[in-house]
Amino acid sequence: MEREEIEQERRRGLLARGTPGSVIYWICYLDETLGRRAWKVSPLGSVIKEQKHLAGVSWEVRANGRHFHQSCRRKSFLCFRWGRYADNVVRSYKYTPLTFLPLNLYEQFQRAANLFFLLIVVLQCVPIIATIPWYSTMLPLLFVLLVRGFKDLATDVGRRRSDVQINQRPCDILTPEGFETVKWKDVRVGDILRIHKDKVIPADLLLLCSTEPHSLCYVETADIDGETNLKFRQALTVTHAELNGESAKQNLGSFDGIVWCEEPNGNLHSFKGELHWKGERHLLDTDHLLLRGTVLRNTDTAYGLAIYTGSDSKILQNCGRLKLKKTRVEILLNKTVLVILLFMLTTTLLLAVGAGLFEYRVSPQYDVVSVLQRDSSSAYLGFLSFWGYIILLSPSMPISLYITFEVIHVVHCFLIGRDVEMYWEDSDSPAQARTTNLNEELGQVGHLLSDKTGTLTQNRLLFRQCFIAGHIYGDIAGEFKPLDLSWNRFSCGGMKFSDQRLVDKLRERSSPECQEFFTALALCHTVMSEWRDGLPHYQAASPDEEALVCAARELGWVFLSRTRETLTISEMGLTRNYQLLAILDFTSKRRRMSVLVRDPGGLLKLYCKGADMVILERLQGDWLLQESTERALELFAQGCLRTLCVAVRSVPETLWTEWSRALSQAGTATGNQDTALEDIYDQMEKDLTLLGVTAIEDRLQEGVPETIASLRRAGVKVWVLTGDKTETAVNVGYACKLMDPDTILIEGEELRQLLESPSPDVHLMSKETEVWTTDRRAEKSKAALVISGPELAELTKTPEWGAKFVALSDQCQSVLCCRVTPAQKAEVVEMVRKHSTSITMAIGDGANDVNMIKTAHIGVGLCGVEGSQAVQNADFALAQFSFLRRLLLVHGHWSYYRICILLRYFLYKTTAFALVHVWYSFYNGFSAQPMYESWFISLYSTMYTSLPIQCVGFFEQDVSAKSCLCWPEIYSIGQKKQLFNPFVVAVTLLYSLYTSIIIFFIPMGILQYSALDFQTLAVTVETSVVLTTTVEVILQTKFWTKWNIAAVIFSLVVFFLSTLALHSTRLFTASPKDYFFLGASPNAFSTPEVWLTIFVTTCIAVLPSITIRALGVVLTNPNKHKIHSSKKESVELQRFRRGTFQRRSSYAVSQGKGFGKLITTGVGLHSAAPPKDGRVTADGLKKESPQGSQREMNGQEEE
Amino acid sequence: MRYGRSIRKAEKPIQVRPPRDRMKNEGETAERPDNTAFTQQRLPAWQPILSAGIVIPGFLLIGLAFIGIGVGLFLTSQTIQVLERDYTGFDKDSPCFSCTNPNTQNCTCEITIALSELFKGPIFFYYGLSNYYQNFRKYGVSKDYYQLTGDTKSFKSPQESCSPFDFDSNKNVIVPCGAIANSMFNDTFELYHIINGTKKQVPLDGKGISWWTDYNLKYRNPSFVNGSFAKAFDGTVKPINWPKPAYELDLTDQSNNGFLNQDFLVWMRRSALPEFRKLYRRITEGDYSAGLPAGNYSLTVHYNYPVLTFDGRKKVFFSNVSWMGGKNDFLGIAYLVVGSLCVVMSVVMLIVYAKFKFSDDDA
Repeated sequence: MEREEIEQERRRGLLARGTPGSVIYWICYLDETLGRRAWKVSPLGSVIKEQKHLAGVSWEVRANGRHFHQSCRRKSFLCFRWGRYADNVVRSYKYTPLTFLPLNLYEQFQRAANLFFLLIVVLQCVPIIATIPWYSTMLPLLFVLLVRGFKDLATDVGRRRSDVQINQRPCDILTPEGFETVKWKDVRVGDILRIHKDKVIPADLLLLCSTEPHSLCYVETADIDGETNLKFRQALTVTHAELNGESAKQNLGSFDGIVWCEEPNGNLHSFKGELHWKGERHLLDTDHLLLRGTVLRNTDTAYGLAIYTGSDSKILQNCGRLKLKKTRVEILLNKTVLVILLFMLTTTLLLAVGAGLFEYRVSPQYDVVSVLQRDSSSAYLGFLSFWGYIILLSPSMPISLYITFEVIHVVHCFLIGRDVEMYWEDSDSPAQARTTNLNEELGQVGHLLSDKTGTLTQNRLLFRQCFIAGHIYGDIAGEFKPLDLSWNRFSCGGMKFSDQRLVDKLRERSSPECQEFFTALALCHTVMSEWRDGLPHYQAASPDEEALVCAARELGWVFLSRTRETLTISEMGLTRNYQLLAILDFTSKRRRMSVLVRDPGGLLKLYCKGADMVILERLQGDWLLQESTERALELFAQGCLRTLCVAVRSVPETLWTEWSRALSQAGTATGNQDTALEDIYDQMEKDLTLLGVTAIEDRLQEGVPETIASLRRAGVKVWVLTGDKTETAVNVGYACKLMDPDTILIEGEELRQLLESPSPDVHLMSKETEVWTTDRRAEKSKAALVISGPELAELTKTPEWGAKFVALSDQCQSVLCCRVTPAQKAEVVEMVRKHSTSITMAIGDGANDVNMIKTAHIGVGLCGVEGSQAVQNADFALAQFSFLRRLLLVHGHWSYYRICILLRYFLYKTTAFALVHVWYSFYNGFSAQPMYESWFISLYSTMYTSLPIQCVGFFEQDVSAKSCLCWPEIYSIGQKKQLFNPFVVAVTLLYSLYTSIIIFFIPMGILQYSALDFQTLAVTVETSVVLTTTVEVILQTKFWTKWNIAAVIFSLVVFFLSTLALHSTRLFTASPKDYFFLGASPNAFSTPEVWLTIFVTTCIAVLPSITIRALGVVLTNPNKHKIHSSKKESVELQRFRRGTFQRRSSYAVSQGKGFGKLITTGVGLHSAAPPKDGRVTADGLKKESPQGSQREMNGQEEE
Repeated sequence: MRYGRSIRKAEKPIQVRPPRDRMKNEGETAERPDNTAFTQQRLPAWQPILSAGIVIPGFLLIGLAFIGIGVGLFLTSQTIQVLERDYTGFDKDSPCFSCTNPNTQNCTCEITIALSELFKGPIFFYYGLSNYYQNFRKYGVSKDYYQLTGDTKSFKSPQESCSPFDFDSNKNVIVPCGAIANSMFNDTFELYHIINGTKKQVPLDGKGISWWTDYNLKYRNPSFVNGSFAKAFDGTVKPINWPKPAYELDLTDQSNNGFLNQDFLVWMRRSALPEFRKLYRRITEGDYSAGLPAGNYSLTVHYNYPVLTFDGRKKVFFSNVSWMGGKNDFLGIAYLVVGSLCVVMSVVMLIVYAKFKFSDDDA
């Protein structure tokens, strides 16, 4: 019975993996079935069967079981896959040599136009219906396919190359002969790996043991969730105990545990499994798992068992599949082409009916024709005529448009890549367009979804200012000049604080407050130190803490090391040991942390730091300097700095004994331990004396506030999605002008209520009790939504919430999503895509953003510090967030403008050109007689009319770059789809209909009274078409470079010359059949009547266009022209603004608790030895190997 | 200049500035884009900005120019004399009615023309057909260019496109093959000036009525075989509808035979529309080089070509020409219409502009 359940689970897992109903599914199923049979007969089977009871653990991993897993290795051929365990190879490429041709052709023929032209080419090979020679369509089609295919191939080769880079990374795996360095791609499930410090973990590993005490190890998960602080993982006690030690290699070699766990899934924060070893069962959870892509830190060596490899690993399961992105303009274009096609088919059908009728009614009397059509029924002739007309009208499908479209895209991408103003000198990286068909979409972005860490911020917190004893030290507004810290031998540099006064005071020891303040900073934290090159480096759970401790170090209060019970700091070169009595750890609820220490003088002191609200209310009653403190806090908040208050309390010995007793009781007490502890902590953290306030800057990237402000003016909704905690995100949101200082946050319960109300908007408005709603009407969007990952997950369950949320967000300034997983980021993007019509753009820099980058219409990767994953998957790569402004407002706008103009013009010129055949057919008995010479048909779109419009596509600038940046409002034409929408397309097509009517009927009307023949009429119409389309492009061009002029002249010259050449004797003698227009154009061009006709036809054809433009000029407010003259308007943002500011004091620690517990239990202590007195000289420290001191520490620990 | 990006290179100016200001020798800049006008999209360009002050007078001027041309064309067209006669014989009382009977052979009919004033020369004499689809696609392609360039190889194996006018019932090759040649117009005309009851034939000039390129380049006769032109056509048969083979098209002028027969060339140049006219002769010679004096004329029609089966009409036209070609009122009218539209538009725009400006001033 139990067994059945398990099997059901297995099957469920299967269903989740393969696509139900697909071949793969059945192969997997068969494989499963066979596998199970094998499993049944396996010698260990019975044991497992008895012990196993966790549901859903069907993934079996045998340590050192390479052979076992090898047999079930997942293989694939074409689109079939079988086997269970993926190898550890990353395959982000789409094509293999075998599949390239079919797959690429399949993709290409998904374009309606390509497919259609294939059909036309096929039709043209049938002689009975071939109205124009086969080459007129075949050559352009081949060209399109080749260009496109080559481009796809190049892109894919790039992907392959980057894959290889990753797959070639080295790592150590355990073989019977010992550890051996192999490549990442050779790692298999069941392998035991050795990971060294600062190395990236190549697969999802079960941590078996590490060289650290308690087999602890630290990982940096920046690539997974964007948090740069360290997290710790700990091995099972049993594996730690049994495998660790001197003979780790042998132990590991003989390790034969079997892991049963979940099928591979993308859930990064959960893992369920069990280890069966030596007849015992041990539960595994996410704490035992080292995820692929994370970096091992602070740990010398860790050993792990590969559980999920390659595409099974959690991070890769989190990555969506590679999709062919299509721009909205392209979709509309395809639809338009489809409409044209339908229209064409209808027309053709009518013409075919006409042909049938003509055959039925007219030609029997007209013996010459009826003999030509001998023994065929009129219906059959109509049918033939149908296909003939399809071929004849096929030029109305803008096939060369697709080539031009590609070319323009490539050029635009090239220009993006060559823009000096998007080139970042420091990393020598220009902007990069990795996907070449999304340019116009850059001009239409409505939602920008941005990662925070590393994207908006530099992910480096800096101590910028502090307030001690009524003085504010440090200045963020003024010029920064680095302090001379050469007196401090522990200084590592990197200080962004410049106030000589404070340094002087500290060095002169003239201010006890200042000394106490920095003592507090050096003591009150959970940072661990690590010695490298004789300098202390700090590893902190929170970047804030690190910044503070570093600042203290730079200014002479150096935290040297800690043990479970001591803290060693150097105060201006004087090393002092503090006895650590207790750490009152940080929680997000308490928003503060404290340490209780006994100073070398024997006095008990509590140092506390935390958010201003919580500290200020715990100060002693007679608090001096209240006013100036408030002012300082205000000032720091205005400077968008994060503040923490630092306070001290002298604790009487009696209180301590009493309190410690209470603490130990609470520690042992069952029940609600957390609240009990909180109460006890609370008792200690009172009657504090304020030492000062620290102000930390979460360094924004260069130009982020200006960029965001610009984008907001451009109407782009900026959402921030971050794995970081809410407070940090909110702070950054204010700092980078995402929200105005007086913006109200809607979060938590309030947000839920709003979403649950039937119509969020009405509810929002009617909430009169809220202060902010009163003036909400006046200033529409003074609110921002803040939502956290768990809330998001909960809300997702409710149907329609997404629509409501997006609708609500449209009324707000911005949205902050905090604590979201990569998958959730993608979900949010998906939601925005689904519920709004705007283009979404996602920008991020880490692997945790890959998902959203892939999901969004446009993904932008920042080539930042966090590896290249984001860039690899992005459509555009930038070096700086601020380049986004230029990318969107200038390149995006221009691309959109150019491409829309281009598309409209192409639709116009091709349909106007082809429709002439329709009108002519009324006069030639619906016989599918082409109006033009066949050479003209094949050269018209490629030679005679393509260059000028391509020049427009390359060079056109409706407004200058400067103006684009000065008036971001211009950008909204793209968001509103003003230049290319169904209406515009309809107008364009109607206009081309008009043009075609004019172009046919005017020459016809004029020449019917003359003795001029068909060929003369053809030349007249051809010339009129070329002139009309040229005039039209001249009217479109607003930016005349020499190339535009050259292109126009060139096209016309080419038209006339090639027409004359094609009608020349030489070609005629070579092939009379193909060049039978001999003499037509010389004759026509020497007839004044023809010229008069061409002239008047062209004028009538372009008259509406000219008139509308002229009316536009007359009607336009003359003020609008100022956009052209670039009058300088200051976009510089005021750094400080008046008004009420919310104070933003917080303590941005990671989601979990700090390292406090690890420290107090002593588990995590490993790093550097406390330099003993006297040994703490620079030389001594330099000689001392950190390893040695570490071992020493470990020794102490073991006692 | 505010912050450096990395601490180590703390004070590097970061602010995005015009690139040329940057130092060249700073750090690794291998990837730095070229700072050219093209890549930076700073090409010098002319950006015409139109204003109402240009547009409105511009429209007016264009309009007036068009009206001027239109008036000129229209007046020119008015001076051209055209004489048109339908000789299909559709009506019972028309002179050629008797010829419409398909059984009649070698029918001749006579059309009288009375000129009240001098018909100025040079006069072009056209025949016109209507409801005749010379532009029918299959009809149009039904010829063999190789034959017509005198290539005797194709006298044995004509192109597929000639079908079914490529072989006669005895599998002999038809030369020239194809529907166009087969359907060649074969009515002939003689014009007589009736002076005091006596008929004086007006000489009709049949030379040079075809295109120069057709006569000199496009069409070539096969070379003589044994000094005989007819021998060149050995083994071929005449088109079914033709009374005589190609080498006997003009019995009066040996050089006007074969594929270089002027009437044949004119016919082979397909018309654009189902109603068309083709040049038949010119009156340029002798007493009539200055034109046809006022008086009565008689046009003798050798009525061969059947058109009534497909409800067609046959006409003759006499016309003199001006610099712009034949009589064509449509052209002048088209110019006049465009010109007036432009003028009207300029007035409308002026009104709109004035109104707009006023409202702008109010605001």
